[in-house]
Amino acid sequence: MASISLRHVEKRYGDVLALADCNLEIADHEFIVLVGPSGSGKTTLLRVIAGLEHVSAGELYFNDVCVNDVDVSDRDIAMVFQNYGLYPHMSVYDNMAFGLRRRRIATDEIDRHVRRTAKMLSIEPLLNRRPRQLSGGQRQRVALGRAIVRDPAVFLLDEPLSNLDAHLRVQMRAEILKVHRAVAATAVYVTHDQVEALTMGDRIAVMNDGRIHQLGTPGELYDGPVDKFVASFIGTPAMGFISFCIQRSSDGVALITDSARIRVSMAQAQALRKISADLIVVGIRPEHLTLETEREASATDVSVRGRVEMVEMLGAEQYVHVNTDGGSLTARVPRNQPVKVDDTVILAAAAADLHFFNHVTGSALR
Amino acid sequence: MIATSFKTELEASRLDPTLWPHDGTFANYVGLWSGSLPFVSFFINTVVTCIATAVIAVMIATPAAYALSRGRFRLRAPIGYAILIFRMLPLVVLLAPLYLLLLHAGLLDTRAGLIVGFTTFGLPFAVWMMKSFIDAVPIEIEEAARIDGYPRWQILVRVVAPLILPGLTTTATFVFMEAWNNLIYPLTFVTTLERQTLPAALVLTFTGQFKTDWGGMMAAATLTTLPLMIAFFAVQRSMVRGLTSGAVAGA
Repeated sequence: MASISLRHVEKRYGDVLALADCNLEIADHEFIVLVGPSGSGKTTLLRVIAGLEHVSAGELYFNDVCVNDVDVSDRDIAMVFQNYGLYPHMSVYDNMAFGLRRRRIATDEIDRHVRRTAKMLSIEPLLNRRPRQLSGGQRQRVALGRAIVRDPAVFLLDEPLSNLDAHLRVQMRAEILKVHRAVAATAVYVTHDQVEALTMGDRIAVMNDGRIHQLGTPGELYDGPVDKFVASFIGTPAMGFISFCIQRSSDGVALITDSARIRVSMAQAQALRKISADLIVVGIRPEHLTLETEREASATDVSVRGRVEMVEMLGAEQYVHVNTDGGSLTARVPRNQPVKVDDTVILAAAAADLHFFNHVTGSALR
Repeated sequence: MIATSFKTELEASRLDPTLWPHDGTFANYVGLWSGSLPFVSFFINTVVTCIATAVIAVMIATPAAYALSRGRFRLRAPIGYAILIFRMLPLVVLLAPLYLLLLHAGLLDTRAGLIVGFTTFGLPFAVWMMKSFIDAVPIEIEEAARIDGYPRWQILVRVVAPLILPGLTTTATFVFMEAWNNLIYPLTFVTTLERQTLPAALVLTFTGQFKTDWGGMMAAATLTTLPLMIAFFAVQRSMVRGLTSGAVAGA
């Protein structure tokens, strides 16, 4: 049982900065997800926590003890690798018992541990098989079992589901959460899949270019992204963005282009008055946009005219990708709404659902 | 070679050679054992020195290759290439220095001296071949073992070595065959005939100034080649894999 804390952690490979000033406080028993695109440093951060990589600067604490120079084997962690990392020449049983044997635990106790864990993951019938005789899902379970059986203080999972098919992935997602609740260890989970992150994490750290952009609960990330990167990365389909010129007048603030118009709320107007920039980026999530006729749209806070570029049919609903003067937007609309490529449409939204971002830095306007 | 080994002396030296022996005989083979030459001790000398060379070379090469493959130290690449350069030296170049070395160590004219000689030449190749096998082991497996709490040398022995067992046997066979085929070292380092190895003994004993015992020589040559062929066919498949994997893996 451990809390983990990273303070100004930095990792360099020669001249390449893989992690820059990473600060993270992970509470005991928490399930933290590190999410980001490939090359964002999330796996590097996980390997730093594991002790497989040394930090170049900063400190890493387990339960307020600095573990910068503590060897992997003394950190009381278990890790599940993306390609499982099972020992191919050992049976499932030996794979799970290998770590316990190192700790000089009595044979019958090892046996009890292994069988109990195998039962929990329903891999009991596979105990005598070799990894190559198992399917992907079974191997994943064994890798998980090998991690659990040691009863570690910290669980590290490096994209454990990325090699599984979509159906199995959903199933294993639930299983991992169930296991996490059962063993009550601190868990750090790396994924590039934001759906996995949102569904699994108690809290999520969104990473890009070796930096942690935002740390928060799934709801916090979705409703209040701190910058344009987090806003575009979290949520499918991604948030759409349009640029507006800010027109300030004595009676308020207006955001108007040739094809779009926004009536901002009082609070938003105040915030927009405070900044000096003339340009602002407005983000709107697909589910907040509706397709309206010209007359209906005049009554709404936001109306944007554009040309339909693509329509994606998803069964119950459809995604309409629309090109506008200031950028492109995606709307999630009911399937029965007739719309086709090259149509000119008007998208409407409520002012409360808008996100404002600095045109240059991309940081959110609060 | 095999056909001639079964021919009588008369048939072996006919002007119009026969493909199959007309009246086959085992006399040549029997002669090897019962003759004046210590053929059995040649055979034992060769087998002992070659097997010892193969075992020692693999035992030294495996940790060395592991360090070159997985270690992160500054001189890794230069050391790797230095080892490779030793391999490029012709056998003969090493002959004089090795002779002096063995002379001072008192190992001339002994099996141990021969093993040292064979090993010096087989080792660089063994290191590089083992390195390519170790490179192919997924690093996650080793990292998993590190997380399971095992120190490096135990990971090498308990995780890596079992995974590269085919590579280990292939490398050992290669070194064995090379040592077996080595002619110039035993001819130089061994002076007592009884301590000679088979290939050297063939040269020394069967060819005379006036007469060559073709039948006997071919019988001895067949027996010399046989273990090599058996060893080769046993590991043929993994040998090709080992050689090709060595070919594409970089430093």
